[in-house]
This record gives sequence, structure tokens and C-alpha cells, in this order.
Amino acid sequence: MRVFSDLMWFFQEHRKRYLGGIALLIVVAVIALIPPKVVGIVVNELAHRTLTSTRLFYALLAIFLSAVISYGIRYLWRILLYGGSIQLATDLRTRLYQHFTLMSPQFYHQKRIGDLMAHSTNDVQAIQETAGDGVLTLVDSITTGTVVIATMAATISWKLTLIALVPMPLMAYAVSRYGKMLHQRFSLAQAAFSDINDRVQEYVSGIRVVRAFGQEEWERKNFVALSRDVVDKNVSVARIDSLFDPTISVIVGVSYFLSIAFGADFIVHHQMNIGQLTTFTLYLGELIWPMLAFGFLFNIVERGGASYDRVQTLLNITPEVQDRPGASATVPSGDIHYDISVFQYPSGDRPALHDIHLDIRQGETLGIVGRTGSGKTTLMRLLLREFDVSGGDILIGGQSIYRVTLKALRQCLAYAPQDDFLFSATIAENIAFARPTATLPEIQRVARMANIADDIGKFPDGYQTLIGERGTTLSGGQKQRISIARALLQDAEILLLDDTLSAVDGRTESNILAALRQNRAGRTTLIATHRLRTVEHADQIIVLEDGTIAEWGTHESLWALGGRYREMYQRQQLENLVEKGGDRA
Amino acid sequence: MSLEAMDFTPGMGQKGTLGRLLRYMLPYRKKVLASLVILLLATATDVFQPILIKIFIDGYLIPRHFPQKAMILLGGGYMLLVLLTAGFNVAQLLLFQVLALDIIQNLRVELFDKVQTLSLAFFDRTPVGVLVSRLTNDTEAILQMFMTVLSTFVQNITVLVGILIAMFALDARLAAYCLVLMPVTALIMMLYRKVTSPVFHMARQRLSLLNAKLNESLQGMSVIQAMRQEERLRGEFGAINNDYRRVRFRNMQLNALLLRPLMDGIYLLALMLILWYFGERSFSHLVNIGVLYAFVTYLSRFFEPVNSMLQRLNFFQQAMVSSERVFQILDNPDTAPQQEGTDHPAIHEGRVCFEDVSFSYDGRTDVLKHISFTAMPGQTVAIVGHTGSGKSSTVNLLMRFYPVERGRITIDGTDLRYFSDHELRRKIGLVLQDPFLFVGDVTSNIRLGNTFVSDSEVAGAARFVQADGFIEALDQGYHAPIGERGATLSTGQRQLVSFARTMAMNPAILVLDEATASVDTETEDAIQRALEKMRHGRTTIAIAHRLSTIQDADLILVLHHGEIVEQGTHQQLLAHEGLYYNMFLLQQGSTGLGAN
Repeated sequence: MRVFSDLMWFFQEHRKRYLGGIALLIVVAVIALIPPKVVGIVVNELAHRTLTSTRLFYALLAIFLSAVISYGIRYLWRILLYGGSIQLATDLRTRLYQHFTLMSPQFYHQKRIGDLMAHSTNDVQAIQETAGDGVLTLVDSITTGTVVIATMAATISWKLTLIALVPMPLMAYAVSRYGKMLHQRFSLAQAAFSDINDRVQEYVSGIRVVRAFGQEEWERKNFVALSRDVVDKNVSVARIDSLFDPTISVIVGVSYFLSIAFGADFIVHHQMNIGQLTTFTLYLGELIWPMLAFGFLFNIVERGGASYDRVQTLLNITPEVQDRPGASATVPSGDIHYDISVFQYPSGDRPALHDIHLDIRQGETLGIVGRTGSGKTTLMRLLLREFDVSGGDILIGGQSIYRVTLKALRQCLAYAPQDDFLFSATIAENIAFARPTATLPEIQRVARMANIADDIGKFPDGYQTLIGERGTTLSGGQKQRISIARALLQDAEILLLDDTLSAVDGRTESNILAALRQNRAGRTTLIATHRLRTVEHADQIIVLEDGTIAEWGTHESLWALGGRYREMYQRQQLENLVEKGGDRA
Repeated sequence: MSLEAMDFTPGMGQKGTLGRLLRYMLPYRKKVLASLVILLLATATDVFQPILIKIFIDGYLIPRHFPQKAMILLGGGYMLLVLLTAGFNVAQLLLFQVLALDIIQNLRVELFDKVQTLSLAFFDRTPVGVLVSRLTNDTEAILQMFMTVLSTFVQNITVLVGILIAMFALDARLAAYCLVLMPVTALIMMLYRKVTSPVFHMARQRLSLLNAKLNESLQGMSVIQAMRQEERLRGEFGAINNDYRRVRFRNMQLNALLLRPLMDGIYLLALMLILWYFGERSFSHLVNIGVLYAFVTYLSRFFEPVNSMLQRLNFFQQAMVSSERVFQILDNPDTAPQQEGTDHPAIHEGRVCFEDVSFSYDGRTDVLKHISFTAMPGQTVAIVGHTGSGKSSTVNLLMRFYPVERGRITIDGTDLRYFSDHELRRKIGLVLQDPFLFVGDVTSNIRLGNTFVSDSEVAGAARFVQADGFIEALDQGYHAPIGERGATLSTGQRQLVSFARTMAMNPAILVLDEATASVDTETEDAIQRALEKMRHGRTTIAIAHRLSTIQDADLILVLHHGEIVEQGTHQQLLAHEGLYYNMFLLQQGSTGLGAN
């Protein structure tokens, strides 16, 4: 029940809705008393042969009116209460999404996307049920229960009411007990189902091993056994499940039996009449649902509470990277200065970068080379403030990047990341991602700069071509170039290319680099790459090794140095040769 | 094929799908019949209860005459009926549910068997998640349909019919009036289905849109943040979220209009009909209060089944979509190459011969062109070449993962097509690039399902490839648990376990798809020593990435764009100073710096 007080903020926010809904529930519980009463009166008059057509007409009219009114009210409270729960689910999803947009990469390292999705769907669904069905069953079982029992006791016979209710607590007990057993067995069934899921997943992933070793029979045996286990666990659920309704019907049957037997006795002793007995049994019918619901309530609330806790835990995580107090909103500009003594990822066991002291003048191009894991990407991610440096500082135009807002900082940076993530949208929308208001000529201009315009022209739908899961599949090189165009459209002072040319062939690459030189005069570019030719013409090149600068200079000076840079360069030349088929010419 | 394409189902039509699904009940017709009989009994004892009360009211209560024997009979009879109903119901509910579960078990196994026969090409283009979902989630949705059809529809319709029969037995004229309820409820059901199924469909679609947006945003969050688009994306998500809310609200509104409140209303109208009938008759005839009581009771029971059927209609829809998807896989003609002929040729010596083999995955571009070579028994043939030169395709053909359509491959002079799967898998040992390990322990990963391999043979195989050292150092030795994809072991250790797995089969021919992954020097040495031992005395086809490991090969084939451009021994190829020579130089040159 604690979840109701946890959700109180929502109920208060929507108090009109909830108070109205609860009031209507009470009204409808009272109106529902009328038809059985009328039936009782008619039965009595039939028994005493006193019924007249006028009285019959009024009786029918009373039932008709209560039918129409309660239809309206039942519709209305559903709109109010269920409408509220749908609104709550919507609000929670909005909150979660908003929260997700504030979280830094660190958060996404720790959480699996599948789990985050599950919180936003299943958990929100369970909370919605608590705020809808949960509130309904709570209010309904209390109001209908009280109103009906009170009426039975007051207007018919309190003795008979007590007698008829004797088996009812057993029902609430049975429902909650079965509910609990069902829940336990159902969890086991779910676990078995997830086992078979995992197994099938593994089977499909390892299909080559299965085939190569002729393990089909064995896998079949495993699958059949696991599937059998799912069946068995579900049969054990079914065992309880099929007890459920019949148990209820026995208890209800006993209750009816007691009412009729003792009711008959009361009639004989003139303590009540046949019409009242009819009304009584009809009332008894109306009590079944609230009793059942009360049993269900515990299960709904238990699940809703657990889900609400999970969602709250998620919402309470504070973002690792946020604006510092007093941060300026002025977009920084000027030379970049790295001054990092040490940086370690929160989950890392050794420094990712150390002793990086580096100046990049405004308008320069910096080439960053080094093998995988040497720290190239980290250097860029720190500039973007995906992670914060504790041991050191990074300055742009003499201003620490920690003294401006995230928004201002990222406005001077255009980033084309390594994993070239594109959205399921049109090509134009993807290129204009950072500036959705961009005109088509602007989009075309950057597409030409990124050497992707010709490719786009070849698609039947041109810039309107849908890409991503539902659309055209692009090659790695095409994706990279779109990602570059997307970054170029930002028209930012500093461009970061994180190995974004790796899948582009040599000639296209030099076209892009030439276009960049031409169009980005006076603005800074950082290029991280495996391919040394890409940064041959850079103003300065650093060779990163194990998180620090191993060599530094221009292509010429590094070549002359005869160190790792030169070694890598020669090796790559030879590699090219092999790719081309080995002709030395 | 994308996930969406898999979702697309060209119309077999729902009728055909449902019919085909129901045929899965045929093997169980006796059980179905038995359950139906019990269901009929349960319904009969159920609808008979109000009749006993009617007899009590009209025969004894109104005349105020209570003979003890009759009372005990009536009371005892009533309680007996209550208990019998409950007992029959427990039995039939359980029987129907178990039946549905058994049917699904069969369907699942049938589907799995079908998947086992599908070609690797099918696996290549079907995302893992989609296939897993077909085998588990979709069959689960079909289970819901069997539960719904069997448990809800059959039962509720039986109860409805039972109630009507009882009503006719009590008062045929009034029962005839009450028959009006049937078309009315049928009409409401149709109306409900008609108006809600587009809304329900829309809600599902909006939900998947919402999930897709959320999923994509979570994946691309770093891009969104780097480009400062959080605000806009929140807006977009908000719009979708709101859209979903509207559809959900609409759905709920329709439910509120057409489900319970409406049924409650109709119940009251029917109650009016009954009262009017008895009232009108009472002016001219004597009426039986007991009959009135029984009718009122039946009426209150009439709508529960209707309500529960209405609520299940949408599940039904969903199950149909799932079944169409499942049937699509069951009908997939793209099966893996099977043995041809009925002979049982055996592999003894292990002479492998490629004769002018060309191959294409998509029917357009050839990835292998006119490949011919022979590996004599015990020889090692190494295939080298850059990425995409066709090395792995050679292995795929030799393993008969794909059919050889042009040219032919023979083993010991017999065409590959004529061997049984069993013979091929036992005699050709494949060591894969990615040493895929299963969840389990070390022993189960070496033995796999080959129960004929004893524990000591497992240990022997491990010793042979010198994996025994590290295995015995593990906490539980040969029974050390292995996590998903072998995550608990290092890359090199995984390699060695997969070697042991191959050697436990003691194959005549060894196919090595050498790993590119770099491991520490010590493990690398262990791997090389193991490979050398494994190759000894076996025909070996080795795909090599490190030229240093194949210098002693009897024949080296250099593949370039699917063609053999150079062949010979290591010395011959070096003397030729061609592609092999360049590759060799490249690998000799810089071992320390790895440009990808």
C-alpha cells in the first residue's frame, strides 16, 4: 500500500480527477442498490398478487433510469481514473526520457540499454496499473463492499447478512493465497522461459559450431528438454490457475446456500419475505467482485511498488557531467590548450591519458595518430566534456571549458564520432541533425564538401532517402561521410574527426581533406586517424602511445626522427601495395 | 533481410492461418474430446443449480411445506452440484491448459527442427534477435491463442448455451424473448471488434514507435548531446509519447463505452424484460416466483462469459500475426545442403580436392573463381590473402555449409555431396576464427553433445593441445563454469579449449580458420605448438593470417579477389617476389606497431 503514498504527488496534482472519480464510484455503488431492491418489491407483490400495471411501470422505469445513469457514471469514472493512470504513465516516460538526455556516457556504460528500455516500458506499465486498477479496486471494494453490506444488514436482515458473509473472508484469503502461489510459480515459468530464450540465442549465435561439429541432435535434445521444462513450469501455474475460479464458485455457492436455507427459515418465521430474500441474493452477487478484487489488490500493489522503486532509483541518479555553478554562457573561441596530468575512466583500472600538454592554435589542424586504445578518442571526449578531468584542465581561448555551460562549449565543437551513429530518418534530416532549420542548399553544400553528394544523387529519393533500420542500408564509407557532413553543417569553430575517414577510399579522402582546408580557413580541426596519410599535411601531429604523447612534430620532422611514426608510415605503404594485389608499379 | 521485412507477411489470410493452427490439435483429438465432455458435465451441473432453488422456492417455500427428506435431498443435492461443478471445472480447465501447452511444445520443436535444416545463408541475413523471437515469443503468443480459443471461447460459449437450454426448460416463451440477447451481444462483439481493432492496432504501432524512438535515442545519446539536440529530441519524444497517450485514451474510452458498462446496462434492460414478462403474466396467470428467481440468476451469469470473450478478442489478433510469422519460417525453402544418394561413403585417407570451383553468395558476384587444388593425405595446404579474398568461402564450401554449384569438391575421390552429415562432421574438424564457447563448464565445451567421448578422452584432448595446464589451474578444473561466450576465459584460453574440442573428435581432416585476434606471446607460442601437433598426420586446410605459422606448409595458395594468383611452397613464393613476398615483408617488418 506504500506505493499509494509514493504516488500521492500525482493524486494531488490531479485531485479533481481522483476525487471526482471516487465520488462517482460511491454514487454508482448506491445506484446499483436500486435494481435488486426493485426486483424484491416486484417479487413480493407477485407473491401477494398486489401488482398493478402502474406499479409495474414505475418499477421498470426505476430500473431503466438506474441503467442509464449508471452506464453514464461507469463510463465517466473510467475516463477519470483510467485517464489519470494513462496520464501518469505518459508523465513518467517524459521524465525518464528527460533524465536520460541529462546522463553522461558514464551512465550508459553502467546500464544496459535493454534494462533502461524495460524500466521505461514494463515498470511504467505496472505503475500505470497501480494508479488505475489499483485505485479502482481499493476504492471499489471498500465503497461497494460497505454500501452493499450496510444495506443488506439495515434493510433486510443483519442476521442473514452475517450468516451469508461467513464464507467470504475465506474467499479473500483464497484469492490472496492463490495469487501469491501463482506469482511464485509464474516467476519460475518466466525464468524457464528466459532460460530457453538464452539457450536459443546461444544456439543461433553459435550455429557454425553446431553445424561444424554435427551437434544438431544434441541441440535438439537440449531444446526439447528446456521447452519441456517451460511446459512443466506452466503446468504447475495451470494447476493453481484452474483451482482459482472453481474455489471461488464453491465459496460463493456455500454463501448462497446459507442465505437461501436460513432465509427460508426467516421467511417461515416471518422475519422477512420472499422479495427480500430475492433482493438479498442479488446483493450477495454484487459482493463477489469487491471480495475478489481485494485479493487481487495486493498483487497489483506489490508489483507497482517494486516498479515505482526501480523508476525512482533511476531518476535519482545525478548526471556525472553538468554545468558548474556560475558557468558562463558565452561560446568559447580561440587556441586550445590541453593541460592534463592524469585522466582515468571511472571504470578503468589505469590512466587513459597522462601528461598531455598541448597547444593548438586557432585555425590549425592537429593530427592524432596511434594504435587502438592509445587515447585518441579520449582526447576528444574530454574536450566535449563527455567525461570531466580531475587531474588537469583544458582551455579554449584561455577560458577553462569547465567555466562555460555545456551548451556553450558544445556550440563551438562539431564532432564526427568513430561509430558514425545515424538516426532512422531521411538523409537530409540526418545531415541537418544539429540544425533542423537548415535549408536544402545548405545541406547540399556540406554534402558536397563531405564528398557524399554524388552518392545521394544516385538514390531514387535523393536527400529524402530513409536510412537506418527501416530504410536503405548505407555502406560504412557512406555513413562516415554523412556523419562528416552532419558535423560540417554545425559550422563550429572546432571540428573533431574521430577516425571518421577509415572506411573512405584514398581519393575520396583527399577530396574531403582538400574541401576542409578550403572551407575551414581560420578554424581549428582535430583529426584522429589510423591512416597516417590523412594527417600528412596537418600543422602538427602527435603520436599517442599508452595515453601519452610519444612523438610530436610535423610529417617532415617526424619522418626525419625515424621513430614510430616513420615505421608506421612505411608499413602502411606496403599494406596498400598488398591491397592492390602486389603490383609494385 | 531487415527486421521490418521479416515482419511483412504477404497475405495467407487469417482464415488459412487459423485453420492451419487448429490442425495442430488433431493429434490430441481424443484429449480434446475428453476435455469437452468434462466441460459439458461441468456446465450441466452448473446450470442445474438455480433449478434446484426454483424447485425449493415454488415447491416448498411458497407453500410453507418442508418435509425433512426432501429438504435434505434438495440441500444435499445443491451442495453436491456445487462441488461437482467445481471438480469438473478444475479438471477441464487444467486439461485444456495442459493441452494448449502440449500443442505449443510440438509446434516449438517442429519449428526448431525446421530451423536446424535451414541454410547458413538464412542465419547470415536473419538477425539473431528475430530468430530467437520466432522460436520463443511468437510461439508464446500462439499459446495465448490456444488458451484463449480453448479455455475462453469454447468454455464460455458452452456456458452460454447451457444457460439458454436451462431457460428454455423453465419457460420456453420467456427464453425465446431472451434469445434476443444473442444477436445483441453478437452485434456488440462485432461492433467492438470493428471499432477497437484499428485503435488497438494503432496503439501497438505507436508503442513500437515510442520504443524505437527511445531505443535509438539511448543508443545515439552521445551524438544528441554533442550536437546539443536534447531539447529538440525531448520535444519529439514528447510528441510521440502524447500521441501514444491519445491512442491509449481512445482505446480506454471505447472499452468504457462498449465493455463492462454497456454489458451492465444491457443486463438491467434484460432484467426489465423479465420483470415485465412476469408482471404482465401475473395479471392473467399464476406465476412461479421460483422461475423468476432462476431467470434472474441465469441472467446475472450470462454476461460474465460475454465480457471475458470480448476482452480476449485482441489477443487473438496478435496471435494470428505471430502464427503467420512462424509459418513463414516453417515454409522457408532455403535449406542447407543435404546428403545426396543413399550410399554411405566413408573418409579414410583424407585426400581433399577442389576441381574448378566457383561460388557466389548472391548469384551476381563470384567470391571464388575457378579454384583448383589438391591436398594429399597428411599434407598441409595453406590459404593466404587479404580480407575478402575468399579464404573463408573456401572453408564454407568444404564444410558443406553452402552448396557447391559450379565445379566440384571431392574427398578421397568421392563428391562431397554424397557424404552423410554425420561422416563429414566426424571426420572434418573445424577450428573457427571465433572460438565460440557455450555456457556450461570446460568439459561440456570440449565434449559438446558427443556422449561417446569419455572424461579421460576430454582430458587427453586438452593435454594434446596443452590446454591442461591452465584448465587444471582453474578453480574447479575441468568443471570450471564458463559464462556467456566464454567470458571467464582469455582469448588464448578460449582458442585452446576450442582446439581440444576439435581433437576430442580425432578428425581425419583438419580445417583451420586461424584467428586474427592477438594474444600474449606466451599463449601464442602454446597455440602454435598445439596447432603443429594437431596438423601432424592429418590433411590440413589452413587459413592463415600470420605467414610465419605456415612456412612449412606443403602448398601455399595466395588468393586475391577470389582467384589463386600464386601458389607454391614458402621458398618458391618468396623467390617469385610477388604478392606473397610483399605480405611476408609486411609482417616481418613491424611486429610491435599494429596499424589496424
